[in-house]
Amino acid sequence: MIKNHAKIKNNMLNILVIISIVLIVATLLVMAANKSPIKAYQAFLFGIFGTLNGFVEIFVKSTPLIFAGLGIAVAFKSGFFNIGAEGQLYMGAIGAAATSIFLTGVPGPLRLILSIIVAFVFGGLWALIPGILKVKFNISEIITTIMFNYIAINITALVVRGVLKEPGEYLPQSPMIEKAARLPELLPPTRLHAGFLIALLMVFFMWFIMHKTTIGYELHVVGLNKNAAKCTGISVMKNIIISAFLSGGLAGLAGMGEVLGIQFRLLDGISGGNGYTAILVALLGFNHPIGVLVSAIGFAALQVGSNTMQRQLGIPASIILIILGLVVLLILAKDMFFKERKITINTVKEGGE
Amino acid sequence: MLEQMFTVAFLTTFLTSSVRMAVPLIFAGLGETFSEKAGILNIGVEAIMLSGAFFSFAATYVTGNLWLGLIGGMIGGMMVSLIHAVFSICLRKDQTVTGIALNMFILGATSFMFKILVNNNPDFPQISTFHKIAIPMLCDIPVIGPAFFNQDIIVYASYVLIILSTLFLYGTTWGLSLTAVGEHPRAADTVGIKVYTIRYLAAMINGVLGGLGGAYLTLVQLGVFMENVTSGRGYIALAVVIFGRRHPIGVFLAALLFGAADAFQFRLQAIGIQLPSQYLTMLPYVVTLVVLLFSAKGSSDPQSLGKPYIGDAR
Amino acid sequence: MAFLKMEGVSKFFPGVIANKNVSLEVDQGEILALLGENGAGKTTLMNILYGLYSADEGEIYINDKKVFFSSPRKAIKAGIGMVHQHFMLVQTLTVLQNIILGLKPKGYPFIDYKKITNQIKLLSNKYGLAIDVYKRISELSVGEQQRVEILKSLYREAKLLIFDEPTAVLTPQETDEFFDILQKLKEEGHAIIIITHRMSEIMQVSDRVTILRDGKNVVSLKTNETNPHELSLYMIGRELKDDTTKNDVKTKGELLLSIKNVTLKEKSETKLNHINLNIHRGEIIGIAGVDGNGQNELANIIAGIRKCDDGEIVFSGESINKRTVLERFNRGIAYVPDDRHKDGLVMDLDVSHNLMMRSYKKEPFSKHLVLNRQSIIKMADNAIKTYSIKTPNTTTDVKLLSGGNQQKVILARELYENPELIVVSQPTRGLDIGATENVRMLLSEMRNSNKSVLLISADLEEVLILSDQIAVMFGGQIVGIMNNDENLDMQKLGALMGGHLDQPSDVQEQGILMGSHLKEVSKQG
Repeated sequence: MIKNHAKIKNNMLNILVIISIVLIVATLLVMAANKSPIKAYQAFLFGIFGTLNGFVEIFVKSTPLIFAGLGIAVAFKSGFFNIGAEGQLYMGAIGAAATSIFLTGVPGPLRLILSIIVAFVFGGLWALIPGILKVKFNISEIITTIMFNYIAINITALVVRGVLKEPGEYLPQSPMIEKAARLPELLPPTRLHAGFLIALLMVFFMWFIMHKTTIGYELHVVGLNKNAAKCTGISVMKNIIISAFLSGGLAGLAGMGEVLGIQFRLLDGISGGNGYTAILVALLGFNHPIGVLVSAIGFAALQVGSNTMQRQLGIPASIILIILGLVVLLILAKDMFFKERKITINTVKEGGE
Repeated sequence: MLEQMFTVAFLTTFLTSSVRMAVPLIFAGLGETFSEKAGILNIGVEAIMLSGAFFSFAATYVTGNLWLGLIGGMIGGMMVSLIHAVFSICLRKDQTVTGIALNMFILGATSFMFKILVNNNPDFPQISTFHKIAIPMLCDIPVIGPAFFNQDIIVYASYVLIILSTLFLYGTTWGLSLTAVGEHPRAADTVGIKVYTIRYLAAMINGVLGGLGGAYLTLVQLGVFMENVTSGRGYIALAVVIFGRRHPIGVFLAALLFGAADAFQFRLQAIGIQLPSQYLTMLPYVVTLVVLLFSAKGSSDPQSLGKPYIGDAR
Repeated sequence: MAFLKMEGVSKFFPGVIANKNVSLEVDQGEILALLGENGAGKTTLMNILYGLYSADEGEIYINDKKVFFSSPRKAIKAGIGMVHQHFMLVQTLTVLQNIILGLKPKGYPFIDYKKITNQIKLLSNKYGLAIDVYKRISELSVGEQQRVEILKSLYREAKLLIFDEPTAVLTPQETDEFFDILQKLKEEGHAIIIITHRMSEIMQVSDRVTILRDGKNVVSLKTNETNPHELSLYMIGRELKDDTTKNDVKTKGELLLSIKNVTLKEKSETKLNHINLNIHRGEIIGIAGVDGNGQNELANIIAGIRKCDDGEIVFSGESINKRTVLERFNRGIAYVPDDRHKDGLVMDLDVSHNLMMRSYKKEPFSKHLVLNRQSIIKMADNAIKTYSIKTPNTTTDVKLLSGGNQQKVILARELYENPELIVVSQPTRGLDIGATENVRMLLSEMRNSNKSVLLISADLEEVLILSDQIAVMFGGQIVGIMNNDENLDMQKLGALMGGHLDQPSDVQEQGILMGSHLKEVSKQG
């Protein structure tokens, strides 16, 4: 919300140092794997820019990260530590799949819209419960959202073996969703689907909500200083609940995108940890919607590039997890490298107290 | 179906595998208990266990010695918890964020290192595991005997550890200091307890025990390492700690319950019953939530859990 | 030969002199009272003695040997024990466990409960500190917890015991018991320092009094050669000038706010005890009193941040008990909290975003939830001009502003909608002279335009300068209301603030006297 040139300059310097460290570490890792760093970077760049399919895949892979990352960002901004995007994503996936499978009578496009709404609501409600537990009973959301992740994963496993199981099939999966109710393909034969556009829309929408409306203003205030919010009549409880619901809903859309845009059915383990990755994506994007967009696409590019490195040179793709974790740790540790210009506030402490 | 389930043979194998499933959770849960009692909430148990699992495997794989493997596991776990400790105690960073970043980092690092380690070797990297040692007399007790007293040495170590930890936490001045540091660090400071030192020590204990928990997975349960071999057990350990109310015996029982839920689904499959096991896998989490809800008022959370301590506050 | 001697001790914090050249001494078998207002430097001085701070100048001697404590552990070793105002006890541990915390008792590292219990029993019998050593701290009353703190020090063989505001949280009965314990400690040859600003206590228990003001020694007196009135004059210190801005308008406006029999409880503690207070238009009511006697709670229940357990608050003829903070603000109740950083502002937001905190929901600042940045900036620019807030621009973080300008931001925000009543708590705390003048001017203007001000301040001078009426709070009650005119009895005011509610004839009856006195003064007011 606030511009400060010295701060931005300082940040740029930080980012440069972090990027250099990451590049050095990546090079060392490639060398540890007994591969030529130059070839590795070539393969990496080829993966990203070499083919249309590869390039487009970045946006495919970034879609769930954008959704879930936006959700986590709004939660973190208001001081609700939502670690449960993974579970909320699964609930959204269930909601989307159930709607499009059960409402066969409803025409395709309408069913699609309904699926999206239901996915949002499912995910939102799944985050709302920890939200209520936090504001009403003061139970830490960090632990409850983790519990809710596992419960959601198990519920998914149950429904693909139960109510949503494809009749007559052995595999635990839902039936295929018919074409009319899927997210439209954007660029066949690539996997790019309309979910990416919705994600972009959501980036704009969340940016608007967070920075241009009273809702976002209240969320910011509550996240920064709950006492001041109370003293000026901004309800902490209401805002935590709003942010929990929004946050879970957005994560739910990530699940929706996977079901209606990629797999076209509900499966066990459909998220594959995107909900956890999105936490780091949000943090790297400084919990700002635009930042989330940038870091989600950046991370997806890393993913695509290193997948190519693995295919072409046999360098383990797990290298990207190392890098992602490392970047977050470096950002946390940056105080060790840079003494931030201490800004002294003119606080006069009275002697007696 | 019910007749099949209530045979001695079924119960014995079921209980035996429950104990085996519980052991990693007992170790990791105990470690996290020490950490949380000292005021550090480490969400990175998953990373600690995974690192322990990898380094124990690597050490055994390279040296062929299981004991060196155990030591490798402990060191592997400790390295991770020390990183977390530096971030949360020294740099006063958010403990949850650090934990999540570590989980991701270690998942990548162990997978990467594993690939490099075994790439030279085309054989499937299997290592020998610890053998069972039956304790005379005790192992003859029906059902319970074989389950609890015909196990490997690490299982017995976990029993000893439970007793020692209980004694340590509730019977020694060290335990008091640890509790004080987690509850009211300033009060501890004013009577000359070194808050930072104790927090670092607690973090190290967490690393060693979590590392052992991970080592048990590779050295005993599986005999192999694979990517993400812990698959969320670190998060379960967090639930175990809460469910066990941060008491070693509580942690032991909670771990057994989670282990039993795990074991039961395998048993059911083994005798050919097609009951969705997810009901059972899910149950401990639901129970943990209910426990949280009903103990919300008399919460066992240390007062300063997750809060960095600033020595010279003024 | 005194047991403890502090000579010429000074302590400077950035921008503040906490202690300047302070000296005191206390002997074994002697009780020294350290008297002073909030901010006089008492606690800092004691923290230096206890090794929590190091002095910038001066020396400390124990038994004529020069000492230096770099940590509490060293101070404890030298025989110094401190009972903090906020007890340093671990709630989940038992009495015994708290007493031996950080020590290496017999049987280390194991705890020989039997032996230690006996040791503690010996101590508690000797000093009359009966306590069940196996109870958890959380199960104990405040008085009992204090005993644990004393036992903790005695178990560490403390020769000198420091008590920081020991009676602030005690009931009258517990206070009496505490005094008995003090007497015992004295008889057993301990040196005792009690930090307080309650006259009655000083007169009752101390042998000597050392008075601090603005971080400096004022005087040291023998208790039996002085009296509460003299003490309160030394404590307040200033030649209380009559040229302060007394209000010339003496006809009260209509009744605006009426607090009827309001009680507030927190856990088992009574924070506000049957408060009655009326505020009329065109007047400033000053609440005098030492910090922590219920002033903040009073402000909170008027602003609506906390809801009272009993009684009624009527504003402009309407009961507002059930109204939210925002509803009360919209009806004309503004509030300036005492802690700018914690409660007043969002330090990480800029000036404009802090200025809009109260009014952002209204047009033109927002319409259908959408903010209108332009009109907000315009409002902020106006506020900066009107209140001469010194800031580079409206998008500067408030944390970068000086304290005075931060306070102006809060005032500008609270006054923006022309409130009928403003509740201000410690409005000039930590501000320089210029900013202080500014803030006081604003409050006077409020009154002169037929609005009302409830002024809560621990700075008595401020209350005297601004108020038309002064209400004194003590122990969650309003113990006196008086007109701030030429007839104001300064000595009585000081005595009331110290909880000394009547002539010092019989302090034992204080608890009973308090009630009757209350009725008497409220009739007066």
